[in-house]
Amino acid sequence: MRKTWTATLALALPLALAACGGSAPAGTSNGGGGQSGGTIKIGSLHPLSGSSAADGQQMDNGAKLAVEAINNAGGIKSQGGKKLELVSADTQGKPEVGQSEAQRLIQEGAVGLLGTYQSAVSANVSTVAERNKVPFVIDVSSADSILAQGYKYTFRVQPSSTVLGTSGAQFLDQVAKAAGKPVKQVAVLHEQGPFGTAVRDAFKAEAAKAGIKVEPAIAYDAASVSDLTTQVTQVKASGADVLMVAGYYRDGVLAAKAVDTIKPTLNAVYGVANGAFDLPQFPKEVGAPAEGYFDANYHADMTKPDMQALAKLYTERYNDQIRTGAVLAYDSVQVIAAALEKAGSADATKVRDAIASGEVPTLIAGPGTIKFGPTGENVNATPILMQVQGGAPKQVFPADKAEAQPVYPAFKSQ
Amino acid sequence: MTTTTAPAPATAAGKPLPRQPWNRHLLAIAVLTVLLIPLPLILPPAQASVAVRVLIFALMSIGWNMMSGFGGMFSFGHAAYFGIGAYTGAYLLVEHDVSPWIGMLAGMVIAAAFATLIGFLALRYKLRGAYFALATFAFAEMLRLWATNSEFVNRAVGYHVPLRVDTSWWWIQFEPASPNYFWIALGLTVVALVVSVQFVRSRAGMFAKAARDDEDAAATIGIPVMRYKLLTMALSAAITAVAGAFYVQYFLFIDPDLAFGSSVSIQAILPAVIGGVATIWGPVIGAVVMGPLNDVTATILRNPPPALEFLQGRGGLDVIVYGVLLIIIVLLLPKGVYGAIRKRWSRR
Amino acid sequence: MTFSPDQDHVAAGNGGGVATLDPDELPAPAARSVPWLRIVVIAALIVVAIGLAYLRAGSGVVVTQAVVTGILIGGVYGLVAMGLTLIFGVLDIVNFAHGSFLALALFLTFGLTQAGLHVYLALAISVPAMFLLGVLVQRGILAGAMGKPLENQLLITLGISLIIENALLLFFGGNPRSVALSGDRGVPILGAVANLSRILAFLGALLLAGLLYLLLQRTRLGTAIRAVAANDTGAQLVGIDTRVIYAVTFAIGTACAGAAGTLVAPLVTIEPTTGSLFNIVAFVVVVLGGMGNVVGALVGGLIIGLAEQLGGIYLPGQSPLLSVFIVFVLVLFLRPQGLFRRSA
Repeated sequence: MRKTWTATLALALPLALAACGGSAPAGTSNGGGGQSGGTIKIGSLHPLSGSSAADGQQMDNGAKLAVEAINNAGGIKSQGGKKLELVSADTQGKPEVGQSEAQRLIQEGAVGLLGTYQSAVSANVSTVAERNKVPFVIDVSSADSILAQGYKYTFRVQPSSTVLGTSGAQFLDQVAKAAGKPVKQVAVLHEQGPFGTAVRDAFKAEAAKAGIKVEPAIAYDAASVSDLTTQVTQVKASGADVLMVAGYYRDGVLAAKAVDTIKPTLNAVYGVANGAFDLPQFPKEVGAPAEGYFDANYHADMTKPDMQALAKLYTERYNDQIRTGAVLAYDSVQVIAAALEKAGSADATKVRDAIASGEVPTLIAGPGTIKFGPTGENVNATPILMQVQGGAPKQVFPADKAEAQPVYPAFKSQ
Repeated sequence: MTTTTAPAPATAAGKPLPRQPWNRHLLAIAVLTVLLIPLPLILPPAQASVAVRVLIFALMSIGWNMMSGFGGMFSFGHAAYFGIGAYTGAYLLVEHDVSPWIGMLAGMVIAAAFATLIGFLALRYKLRGAYFALATFAFAEMLRLWATNSEFVNRAVGYHVPLRVDTSWWWIQFEPASPNYFWIALGLTVVALVVSVQFVRSRAGMFAKAARDDEDAAATIGIPVMRYKLLTMALSAAITAVAGAFYVQYFLFIDPDLAFGSSVSIQAILPAVIGGVATIWGPVIGAVVMGPLNDVTATILRNPPPALEFLQGRGGLDVIVYGVLLIIIVLLLPKGVYGAIRKRWSRR
Repeated sequence: MTFSPDQDHVAAGNGGGVATLDPDELPAPAARSVPWLRIVVIAALIVVAIGLAYLRAGSGVVVTQAVVTGILIGGVYGLVAMGLTLIFGVLDIVNFAHGSFLALALFLTFGLTQAGLHVYLALAISVPAMFLLGVLVQRGILAGAMGKPLENQLLITLGISLIIENALLLFFGGNPRSVALSGDRGVPILGAVANLSRILAFLGALLLAGLLYLLLQRTRLGTAIRAVAANDTGAQLVGIDTRVIYAVTFAIGTACAGAAGTLVAPLVTIEPTTGSLFNIVAFVVVVLGGMGNVVGALVGGLIIGLAEQLGGIYLPGQSPLLSVFIVFVLVLFLRPQGLFRRSA
């Protein structure tokens, strides 16, 4: 008898909870007006749990700091100083959760969305945004295919995989030529997902123009790889003078450890949008062998005083070093806020038009402001070149963004 | 013949079961369908999208339940069939401009064929229990790895379903908050439920259950065990493939991890186990319980009661609560929600 | 001479002339005979595989490196799989939480090294701590589900892994951490190079396999565990408290995960989800080696490690995991009970 009761209870509990969960947002739903309670809502969708939680939380924090800064400066002035309100949602890195959370945020009146880190999630959220006619600003997600759908409501602040690969090859060529040791052959080690393959293809095409041979190109599964020494041995056997690595943090560290073990004769290890080589914890984890590693990546511009102030504030508030992802989220909120200011209304379509035609200053190192092209791609999004020097990543190229001179060949022993 | 009737029900519930009231099942399906039709008109869009998700879960799990519940062959690789359904539909639509309805049918056929192949190999080599489960898992993983690296299906990029300007039943595309999505999912789920009721009461279903409960006895009395097991697997795969094909049309995007990932296989198992394995209603009840659970825990933790306020904004807590609830439900209701309810009713 | 014991043993199992070589119900004496024939066949296949890889790659160094790496990484896979296979064999549980127990041990090791302890000395704490946790989890949660269907236990252990992984995330955050082994360096082996930390992890795996084997074969506890694995009702009848054996076996399994966690700590990036990396491969290894067979797990680990590394050479465009699953499925079909029968 007791068992049956607990059974009924167990069944009834989630249903009752579902009812509560369902009714709360339903009350605030007002069909996208977004002005309930005197604030303007912006939705932030990031993986706050799961394997990318560290980055997701960073980005959510970045968005929070941006909203705070805008509100402290007097809110949206063209709308009577109305304050912004950031509504955060956890995508768990899963597209279907991202989809229903995006739906929920729009229903709660968000006039703009930003996110989401994983390309699969961004792809889903972009269709939700498109169909609900709510602007969606992608802070991080590099897959080219997302903006290839001809969507009008999706914008991307970060450079696409293709831009990253192309600029990466150009930078390498220029830096090596400037040092008087032009690159002959590049071996590529890349993760097998859409990001790694797109970067590889763009890099290869651009390198070919500069007369650089790209061979071999070795793929690995970032989710399961536990050792890269065999792959680095293949690189060593191929006689390449530069190793290009396109991947994420954990596999980037594995590649560096393998290079340290195998010691191939290389002039440089050169990351393109590598998730490890430009992070401050990378030299800490790998130690001295990390010295000299390049990474052509979109990166926060530490030469700007505003960026230095933000980095300091972030460290004070969250006791952690700010990553570029958080800065991109910060910028994305700025994009939406500037559009709200310009549109003078919280109407989602007008905000969308204002984003499409607007120009917003950025804290990311690049040639100019954030400005969107016809496909929604940020035309001024480019990477810069970083290099680990003295145990920390430094900006080294192009010259106007450089904190230090690039060292090439990167390794003294060779 | 008398030898089979004795052992079969005995293992299922420990005592002879009462005759299953099949027509009552069909009636219940009809009543429930009518009751659910107005649901998307009442629910706000975000909750309606959760409701569609619940139906997709239910559909996947009805498929799994047929093979693993009624058929007794524990599959840990239903992602293979879900993914085949999803990819076939997406491939035909994107590359050849074929209607998703036709893609759905094609996906069912291919999934059924693939299941028959796996089933034949696994049964031919007499894999059982955990070995069988891990073999199905390996096939799903092989498909995932193949799709990830195969130009033929766009590698890891997967497919975006292009948005159409017009709404269309033929292309399964409507306004985002359209109730049509729910109704189509509901229709597919109802068909799957009716099919599973008809299957269980049919000769094929009885043979499959007999083979599950005592394979040797079933073979002795002349049931072609292999044939009926393969039939069960094929049917099961086809139903799960429908879920995959509809998933693509609703979420408009598919990639190898979403299609063939191991979490998809778990999603097919979860509702049936929570609701009640080898019962008609188990997968549906399980999906209704587990589908929104994630959203519910997230909602509660987003606006926590004052006592729990210090936990707000910490990533991961909602998943912990989900994990705890999962364990509690499985421990308290080993036969699933429906099993527990039925036990109570049969005592009266 | 080497073949005779195996011939006997096959004959013993082949009474009915069925194709299966090793039904589980074989009489006990055969269990001690070493399956020489099988070992020779496996070794021959591996040699052929290496030879083909050499033809394919055209570079001796690459293949040597692949073999050395494969064996070393295979030892780690075997290490992780040992605990899993014990739990699988004795409790009949597909323990999805094994990887997250490993992650827990990684974080524990990280904490201990931060406190100034040497990595390998952390074993003295991580192993007993994980043993204790194993007892608690088994008695507190899994005991209620003993004898329930496979899928129920699978979901419970899935729940446990969700709780552990996200609790780690909640308390430590998602930032990657690492443990450095001071004096870690590349060690040349036959023209290939391997890190000292990997070699030590490999030796640790061998040592652990040896200890477990002795525990199972030479102690009263081991006999009791084997008895329960073979027939739990029978074991109960002769006075073995199966509840205790279940708890102890599960705890030994998690303690193995603890040891594995500490030994691999210098090799991996420590994140809450690191453990699940090993989960899938460990399951494959367990089936390959025969459920409940500790030595089989080690051999299975080596085979999978080699398959992964050589597969990268055979199928350059494909994921190395693909070759792992191909080997797995082939073995499953050719030897449904695993390469080595359950002899634990």
